[in-house]
Amino acid sequence: MKEIYDLLIIGAGPAGLAAAIEAAKHKISVLVLDEQSEAGGQIYRSIRTTQSLRPETYALLGPDYQHGENLEKTFREAGIEFLAGASVWQVEQDRALHFLRNGISQKVCYRRLLVATGALERPVPIPGWTLPGVMGAAAADVLLKSSGAVPSGKVVLAGSGPLLWLAASRLVSAEVEILAVLESTKYAYYLQALPYLPQALRAAEYLLKGLRLKRQIRRAGIPVFSGIRQLRAEGAQKLEAVHFDHRGQSKIFEVETLLIHEGIVPNTQLTRLLGCEHRWYERQRYWHPLLDEWGNSSVDGVAVAGDGGIVAGALIAEASGHLSALEAAFQLGAISKDHRDKAAKTYRKIIRHHQAVRPFLEQLFPPNPEILVPPEENTLVCRCEEVTAGQIIKAVELGAHDLSQLKAFTRCGMGPCQGRMCTLTVAEIAAKTQGKSPKEVGSFRGRPPLKPITLGQLANSTE
Amino acid sequence: MLKRLRNSKGKNITIWFEEKPISAQEGESVASALLCAGVEDLRTAPLSGASRAPYCWMGVCFECLLEIDGQPNRQSCLIPVQEGMRIRRPALNFGESA
Amino acid sequence: MKTSDILVIGGGVIGTAVAYGLAELGAQVNLLDQGGSTPNASRGNFGLVWVQGKGLGMPRYAEWTEEAANEWPEFSADLLEKCGIDVDYQRPGGFEVCLGEEEFSLREAEMKQLRQESTNGGLTPAKKIACEMLDRMSMQALIPELRLGDTVSGASFSPLDGHLNPLLLLSSLLDSFKKSGNLHFPEQQVETIIFRNNCFEVQTKSERFSAKKVVLACGLGISKLALQVGLEVPLRPQRGQILVTERTRPMLVQPFVTIRQTGEGSFMIGASHEEVGLDSGTTTQEMRRLAQHAVNVFPQLSSLQLVRCWGALRILTPDTKPVYAESASCPGAFVVTSHSGITLAPLHAGIIPRWIVEGKTPVGFEQFHSRRFDA
Repeated sequence: MKEIYDLLIIGAGPAGLAAAIEAAKHKISVLVLDEQSEAGGQIYRSIRTTQSLRPETYALLGPDYQHGENLEKTFREAGIEFLAGASVWQVEQDRALHFLRNGISQKVCYRRLLVATGALERPVPIPGWTLPGVMGAAAADVLLKSSGAVPSGKVVLAGSGPLLWLAASRLVSAEVEILAVLESTKYAYYLQALPYLPQALRAAEYLLKGLRLKRQIRRAGIPVFSGIRQLRAEGAQKLEAVHFDHRGQSKIFEVETLLIHEGIVPNTQLTRLLGCEHRWYERQRYWHPLLDEWGNSSVDGVAVAGDGGIVAGALIAEASGHLSALEAAFQLGAISKDHRDKAAKTYRKIIRHHQAVRPFLEQLFPPNPEILVPPEENTLVCRCEEVTAGQIIKAVELGAHDLSQLKAFTRCGMGPCQGRMCTLTVAEIAAKTQGKSPKEVGSFRGRPPLKPITLGQLANSTE
Repeated sequence: MLKRLRNSKGKNITIWFEEKPISAQEGESVASALLCAGVEDLRTAPLSGASRAPYCWMGVCFECLLEIDGQPNRQSCLIPVQEGMRIRRPALNFGESA
Repeated sequence: MKTSDILVIGGGVIGTAVAYGLAELGAQVNLLDQGGSTPNASRGNFGLVWVQGKGLGMPRYAEWTEEAANEWPEFSADLLEKCGIDVDYQRPGGFEVCLGEEEFSLREAEMKQLRQESTNGGLTPAKKIACEMLDRMSMQALIPELRLGDTVSGASFSPLDGHLNPLLLLSSLLDSFKKSGNLHFPEQQVETIIFRNNCFEVQTKSERFSAKKVVLACGLGISKLALQVGLEVPLRPQRGQILVTERTRPMLVQPFVTIRQTGEGSFMIGASHEEVGLDSGTTTQEMRRLAQHAVNVFPQLSSLQLVRCWGALRILTPDTKPVYAESASCPGAFVVTSHSGITLAPLHAGIIPRWIVEGKTPVGFEQFHSRRFDA
């Protein structure tokens, strides 16, 4: 490993891989770091291992997943320096960062940084969501990719969004026993998405895919309940049953696994720590870094590509990776402005094409209001510190009006996950209790370490 | 809680959980291997002592923390199994090892 | 226009303690805080209730600190009764650890000087300062669960030292204050104070407040506002960075100045002393130094996970001792500031409110006036 790189890329998902491949073309020095044990991010998680060790699963996962194979192969064959198992825990003001790998903390410097750390599933705080047996739906999909495993008993899926249906489809193909799909999507959402349908037809392949997935679920005889409310998970030591309301009727399924999903949101841990400016995206209700059309953030030398910038899917992530790398090459003096702009045209076209379906999808699948602000006060919001919605409301009423005060008063965001699982919910609760918009209550300040590091590892870390 | 969809084409691997041998397969994560082996009590919540299990499977929920080969608090959903790995639950006692 | 008997400006641990104490005396109080995520010493606190080592150069302050420590048990019981929040005050005695022989000698000399000053300039008959030097063996005997690192030469130990949960202290003070029926305004940044007709008119961005008496307890914001009421209070920020580890089983009962185990089981390690202006960020360099310190003192801590760290700004007067002052030109305007807002909380909720309402000044109180900094 060198001391300094022209371009340091954090994240080896589609955006990071594409950026690395593009950067290598222009002869700038590149290092890619990812905390996973191999490249692929989440969408192409463990693609190489799955292909070589679990070929039937690989086939089941279909062409959307298999697209990653080419990307990963091109990356590997380009001989780009890649450190897997590297967890970034700290960034410095002077273009350096520290990462932990094999128990040793190392420091590396950069001229330009590309944050390609992607997104995470929006946390879905329903009563009982911390019970063993409750997990994300995209999480189950990732589990299938990373380890070839599926839930062993009866399963129910619940929530909304394309990834809910994709997960359901893959589990059906994997012959998992799915008792039902519980959609929080209301019929009204279809109406409000209708004006965006003509535009979405330009990328009709997404809509056709969605219809195919739904048809597959129907054909498998799996009942779909739409517009469900009051979803709750119950059980003593682990999940035993799922309760919900459908059209005024209470229903229950006895299952061992509940897969919940309400969309994905950008992972802003690194951009917060770097001090980038963020904006509140009202339609999907999340924070994301403020970026220009090349992915440059408000911090000089720091760019973001992929779902970590704004959630737009794997193919846009890949194209945005190319754009960021072209920009990096230009800023570093490796290519001219003309060259950059010309080469960018292809990728802008790709982005425009896939972007066409986004407004429709976002209107059809807004985050479920019952998830944004849990109606039941005993619902856990901060899993790490076991803080309930009611405790947060009480703290707001006591005078803690923004997130840094709420953190101090309730301990939300002080546990190992450092707010990844609760920030958005705390913001929504704080906002609703005060009659404000979430963008007025701030966010948890980015503090190191991004990932846990022991005192011993920190004591011995490179200066 | 979990089962393997198909057996891996890779090696069979033995890992150790709380001194007991567990059959695992090349190319899977530690957390997955344990849950496929029927080990369900991986972690308890710090205050209430309630049982917890992995939720996000991608390294953001921190529910899968286990001690692996003497290194505490590793996110076991991110770490592939290796022959002879020694895994323990997060202990509130910690030993002499630095 | 919102009127009250007294207006307290600053809702940190000092302002809230004063407001709570004033309410206990029956005064009608409005408490203002600027809110937001502004540098807030009260939220970034280590949580020590500390006596040893205080007051070098001002024996009155050493006594002041000891008074506070002695009032703590009753004070925390009162708060528990009033609002049901237990601030987890513990007084097992505290250590200031010495690494190497030189640190031990230096510390010993410092203690000698404190004793000397107390004998010569103290206001009460010279009494033994409850602080002693312990060698390594005696120290280890008091800490059975954790092995001391090889370079630990000993420590100074005071049975009066203790610790608590600082965030719960702030919550309990605020809760008790509000339960008394008085009002807290959490998003009011004061812009101007005008003294007119024996009354103070205070203007924030959106509101006007008036009161017969006003207390400036707003930390670094005091200097600017104090000038408007005829007081000059020089203050500077000093950053302290703190590390917090994951929770683990109880192992360390006594707090150290630099290491303590909280009631929840996490270890806190701190703090730095940096002159960096208003920057409450964290630096890898300081984080590393703190981790190295922790591991030098207790090698077993090296396997603990660091979960978070932060920086916070202390509010320091030029001699680091408190300022308690009433304005001569604007009588009824008070300044209350100290960097030991936790330790001194019982006095800020007791003696200080009595001074504000009844004019009762304790012996030697004039030593705390800000005029001591006039050139």
